[in-house]
Amino acid sequence: MDLQTQTTETFDENARRALVDPQLRSALRKLTVTFGERRAQAIGSVDDWEGLRERARAIKDETLSHLDKYLADFADKAERAGAQIHWADDGKDVCELIIRLLQERNAKQVVKSKSMATEEIHLNAALEAAGITPVETDLGEWIIQLAHETPSHIVVPAIHKSKKQIADLFVEKLGIEPTDDVDRLTSAARRILRQRFAEADAGISGVNFGVAETGSILILENEGNIRLTTGLPKIHIALMGIEKVIPRFADLDVFLKLLPRSGTGQRLTAYQSIITGTKKSPGDEGPEEVHIILMDNGRSRMLAHPVTRQSLACIRCGACLNACPVYQQIGGHAYGSVYPGPIGAVITPQLIGIKKAAQLPYASSLCGACREVCPVKIDIPELLLHLRAQIAEGTAITTEAPPRKALESFAFRMYAFAWSRPWLYELGGRVLRVLQRPAVRDGRIGKAGKLMSKLMPPLGAWTAWRDARPLAPRSFREMWRADNQQRG
Amino acid sequence: MLARIREHLAASAPFDRVHQASLAMHEVGQTSREVEPSTSRGLIDLFRESLEAVNGNCTIVADEAEAAASLKQVIELNNLQRVAVSDSPIVGRLMQRTDSTAEVLSNAEPEALFNCDGGITSAQWGIAETGTLVLETKSERHRLVSLVPAMHIAILAGDRIFGTMSEALAAVSTAGELSRTVTFITGPSRTSDIELTLAIGVHGPARLHVIVIEDVKQTV
Repeated sequence: MDLQTQTTETFDENARRALVDPQLRSALRKLTVTFGERRAQAIGSVDDWEGLRERARAIKDETLSHLDKYLADFADKAERAGAQIHWADDGKDVCELIIRLLQERNAKQVVKSKSMATEEIHLNAALEAAGITPVETDLGEWIIQLAHETPSHIVVPAIHKSKKQIADLFVEKLGIEPTDDVDRLTSAARRILRQRFAEADAGISGVNFGVAETGSILILENEGNIRLTTGLPKIHIALMGIEKVIPRFADLDVFLKLLPRSGTGQRLTAYQSIITGTKKSPGDEGPEEVHIILMDNGRSRMLAHPVTRQSLACIRCGACLNACPVYQQIGGHAYGSVYPGPIGAVITPQLIGIKKAAQLPYASSLCGACREVCPVKIDIPELLLHLRAQIAEGTAITTEAPPRKALESFAFRMYAFAWSRPWLYELGGRVLRVLQRPAVRDGRIGKAGKLMSKLMPPLGAWTAWRDARPLAPRSFREMWRADNQQRG
Repeated sequence: MLARIREHLAASAPFDRVHQASLAMHEVGQTSREVEPSTSRGLIDLFRESLEAVNGNCTIVADEAEAAASLKQVIELNNLQRVAVSDSPIVGRLMQRTDSTAEVLSNAEPEALFNCDGGITSAQWGIAETGTLVLETKSERHRLVSLVPAMHIAILAGDRIFGTMSEALAAVSTAGELSRTVTFITGPSRTSDIELTLAIGVHGPARLHVIVIEDVKQTV
């Protein structure tokens, strides 16, 4: 399957292709079952999970409603501690800035730890074009870099690949002896990447949380590659989306309980690094320079409405991907974006423009499983409906709105008109019950239903994948009235 | 950028009023402690239990003399040939009492660390509920010694184990200036990136052994 051709605009086609890929389906089954079970077990070790989620959301809401203040505080404190702060409006600015920083220091070899923000702006391609070699060091990211693919999950990026495929890739690209042993594959990665760490001129990382109170950044991981990336080379560059800031150091406690449990089902990941500025004394270990880039890239416009603003509360745990019945079937690549799944379906259209990703808000049955598992209680179904409404009404927040769905908009206006007038609602029901009679067979709408949808093509979009159910012989209101009369 | 953020937030103000009015705001619940405060001995046992649950090893010893003997044993059992040590005073004292055959490197440069099979440091704090070590760089040069060699051995004083992460976060942020780097370590390095199969020791140490000294004061 050629991943390069899968974009947000070809979602329907991508999804259809994913559905007939048995290896992908089995990998997804394993992922969603395993992570689902581990998460359930891990949240059992906290006695007030709901309270914790409420608190996390309250902290995020507080931050986002005063984002200007907290970002200014963060930048000020980080600079006082010796870090250099850069502000970047979009991905192009970030790439240019990083390339300039590296070229000024004659840095050619760069080690990278996993960062969805750098994936979002396609930093690796920009670095390569400038003659700089970026090496991904997270095992999953390195695998997909070797395979020239893109992540299919925000926590386990190579989850779509089987052990066999990875072994074949290592044999081909690294010349290792064929093996089907995960430990051997892992130690081959350790051996080769250690050389890359030893010779790296700079390290590039992401950020999980930035603390306004102290100017610290916190990054979580399991492998140790982030500690190496941020600790060994002379320069450390951290890319941080502006939504990553939180007010107080003590707030980290809440997020350190929520994120590992939601992401990988761990009580705590193996390592957390809290980095505050540069050397405090000559003997202090670590890079000579620390640069933190604060990136907007479409985020600040989400602040302009409370519904869209909650998109910025996301802590990138991936729990909504694992819980989503759509993601479970089609995986990450079908979404055509670095952010897949339910959260991807709401942030991708907001980041790249709703015109380019108009199919994504419809990639959901609105079942609400994502909202149930979200550690910061983002109401993703509400966001999906908000975006769908914008598409139907032609009032998208971006300047590039897709063509308005006039028919859908008209149909829902009629629906709203009828439902807000009880007499009309009841009359409509009676008329439909008479009209459906010739089509009902054994309690279902049979072949005649298909004929109806042929006569009214828009209905076919619904009935192509679902049974059309007939209305009950008597409405609830009729039964209620009859019952009341009997009791008299 | 800050101006743009302010502009968008201002645009949201009328929606916010509607939104808040329609929301039945939940009371923000306070999270309760996961672990009740208990005796130092209880915390040490819980620390060991939690660490063992994430593939780490833990030995509890009474004093520095026992710690030195235990350290020698760990070095020999793991067949370590060349170990790097941090500049921690307690590690220095223990190594003096440990007549092991391994070559010992102090103040090793990063390049030299890649050729060590063991790294010995102390840890400033422990967290019992998760079996976590807390390393503060203002107290010790242990950022790379604890990371690069294939095995990490850490010395931890029993009276420096907290029950919870929240207490540890308070300790590192209130006692004077925040360290340049605070590292939390919970078990050996791990990955599940290939078919979700757990593999230990991908980039960081594959083995972690913590020696908890119950009563440091007696021996100082």
